[in-house]
Amino acid sequence: MQPRHVLDGFRVLDFTQYLAGPSASRLLVEMGAEVIKVEIAPGGDPTRLLPYRKNERSCYYVQQNRGKKGLCLDLRDARGRELLERLVATSDVLLENFSPGVIARLGFGWERVRELNPQIVMCSISGFGQDGPLAELQGIDIVAQAYAGVTDLIGEEDGPPALPLLSFGDVNTGVHAVAAINAALLNRTRTGKGQWLDISLLDCYYHCHEINVHAVSASGGALAPKRSGAHHYAVCPLGIFKGSRRWFMLMGSLHFWAPLCRVMEREDLIEHPDFATNEGRCARRGEVVALIEGWLQAQNDDDGVLARLQEARIPCAPVLTVAETIAHPHFRQRRTVRTIHDRHIGDFDIPGMPLRFSDYPEITELEAPLLGEHNAEILAGIGVAAEEIAALTQAGVLVGGDR
Amino acid sequence: MTLKHGLDGYRVLDITQYLAGPAATNLMVQLGAEVIKLEIGPHGEPVRNFPFCRDGRSGYFIQQNRGKKSLCLDPKHPEGLDLIKRLLRHCDVFIENFAPGVIGRLGLDWETVRKINPDIIMCSISAFGQEGPLAEHPGFDYIAQAYAAVTDLIGEPDRAPSMPMLAFGDVGTGVHALTAIGYALLDRERNGAGGQWLDISLLDTYFHHHEVSVQAYSASGGKIVPHRSGSHHYAVGPSGIFKAKEGHLMILALLHQWPILCRAMGREDLIEDPRFKDNDARMANRAEMIALIEAWLQTLSSDAAALEVLEKARIPCAPILSVPQAMAHPHMIERRTVRDIEDRLLGKFQIPGMPLRFSKYEVDENIQAPLLGEHNEEILKRLLLCPPEQVRDWERRKVLFAKAV
Repeated sequence: MQPRHVLDGFRVLDFTQYLAGPSASRLLVEMGAEVIKVEIAPGGDPTRLLPYRKNERSCYYVQQNRGKKGLCLDLRDARGRELLERLVATSDVLLENFSPGVIARLGFGWERVRELNPQIVMCSISGFGQDGPLAELQGIDIVAQAYAGVTDLIGEEDGPPALPLLSFGDVNTGVHAVAAINAALLNRTRTGKGQWLDISLLDCYYHCHEINVHAVSASGGALAPKRSGAHHYAVCPLGIFKGSRRWFMLMGSLHFWAPLCRVMEREDLIEHPDFATNEGRCARRGEVVALIEGWLQAQNDDDGVLARLQEARIPCAPVLTVAETIAHPHFRQRRTVRTIHDRHIGDFDIPGMPLRFSDYPEITELEAPLLGEHNAEILAGIGVAAEEIAALTQAGVLVGGDR
Repeated sequence: MTLKHGLDGYRVLDITQYLAGPAATNLMVQLGAEVIKLEIGPHGEPVRNFPFCRDGRSGYFIQQNRGKKSLCLDPKHPEGLDLIKRLLRHCDVFIENFAPGVIGRLGLDWETVRKINPDIIMCSISAFGQEGPLAEHPGFDYIAQAYAAVTDLIGEPDRAPSMPMLAFGDVGTGVHALTAIGYALLDRERNGAGGQWLDISLLDTYFHHHEVSVQAYSASGGKIVPHRSGSHHYAVGPSGIFKAKEGHLMILALLHQWPILCRAMGREDLIEDPRFKDNDARMANRAEMIALIEAWLQTLSSDAAALEVLEKARIPCAPILSVPQAMAHPHMIERRTVRDIEDRLLGKFQIPGMPLRFSKYEVDENIQAPLLGEHNEEILKRLLLCPPEQVRDWERRKVLFAKAV
């Protein structure tokens, strides 16, 4: 049988809510896994209420939960827990992102889970990891970002730090979790044993420091990374420049300085003692920025300028808005942005699948579940009789909803 | 058989340079794979000279390349290319991050590679992907970030956008690449499906992080326009960076947390205040709300005292740590989120820790970044059975290169 994608046949029991966990299990769905989304009765994943909503349906929820099967039950009820134990026994992966300790209090700590299924890979996602002085703090993206020394490096030098308006932390942590789950699954094909994974927002943010940690450490503190607004503090020119109407990201450092000077018809600056080196240019950053912005604005043709810079192979980009990306032909051709359909919301756009496999096309027919939509289907799959499902629904252990 | 880690026994031929590719193979090493770093002679990986350097050794290079084996050759020399092709037969993964088309001009495009080894996973990392209108443009982290509508969302609304001083894009793309490679390997183990080609880009990676902006703009028919708004979120609040007694604090009190914050501030009167009663009201009166919270923070004796009050009430909050402060934090040290390493030439220093933690395996910290061409002889002897005299001859004729840097 031809598999639909790489994870065809794998089952994931997904206790996660909000963003970091659901973004991990979303990628698992997109790679063909069956993901059972366990939602806590009565309301389910709190993001079902997040804006933007249309027809009482949250686009935020839909983006992260397409293709998952919804199982909504009362986790504190012994009958609900017993059903989950049976699902643990038949799953390949268990994913959770409660605060450390909570999953064990719910009866699904690693020791218990491995008893139920020695082959299962359990992945715990948290803000600060399963142990250590900060473990008990709430796992919120920007809180971990601040602790990771990241927020401090964003914004104007003479003002407060700026808040990036997207979820580097949660989504990136989700991808780290998916990578770790993979290594554990690969390992299981050879050892037959599962294991427990401890993935945190803090670790994943910190992992992105490509320079700062070793530069501070190896220089004995002589190098101090700092936020510096629109321009890099240690490389020049590298930053955001004002054109005649729009902003440009431009890098004219290293071997790009000479071609940049030629495009600007300022060959005299290529070997000029004040501008030939990065150190010299950093010392005269104001002059360099004014020079480049003066030239950009004098052309009075942002599109033409961009084309000339790119033709000269100088790294350069317009600073696009979200609206511009959605309409951009490259994003459309590559499906970096894609239009999806929801039963209640209709058509709208979300980011594309970032992992592209030559042997498997993108799985397109995915719908986010209604609350408890697949209760009966999932439980019938592990041998629960229809009458019992009806009785559990009657008793409020199983819950469904029309959104 | 005892396995060292999840990828023990897998061999990777890694012709990547700079950051996104090396970040992927850096994790693969730490997961137990053998990574052969193919460096282009005579100088090898360009970041070998990136600051900070001591004694000609770059901290930047070491951080991303510990534990890899260096084979330095001239891929344009027919004998160098032939060595690469022979090595491909012995590898599970081939990873490259040249601009699209370059690997084909070197004679190592996917069609050629799969003929040499039908089971190999080839991963191409690029700025904009292997096709499409932007594919040919020169790309770096910040360039893809600007195209992905990320840069536009950072900074003060009335000023230029701000650049974040770390490489989310490159490292994140490396993790995406690792993920795709790993699942293609798993597919091969389970389905015997043979190898395949993976196309991973900085642009896709950056765009993948838009959790709200794309769907909200699209589904609202353009009514919701995401825009940068300095230290505070434009649509929900309080959520942002507040001036405190000594420095700045990150504080969030959304939905049910607002009344809790009001009580923690001793301002129960604000809970029912029409100016702040729900998110819409608070956004309409954002400046007043921020001023109230900052005024309260000024009444406390220190930032630590403020954090204590907020944490006790379970309001999400954090100090804005600088990099040196984060490195000295007991939590980072206890969890090895920051870790000490020792390079043969550069000496002792610190780098970020291994972000993937497995209950069954420890991270092997006893690994060194390679000298240029350090493993020429070892790799070619073990995998291709080349005698040492042959390796010396290639080094003399500048097919291979080695240097103690």
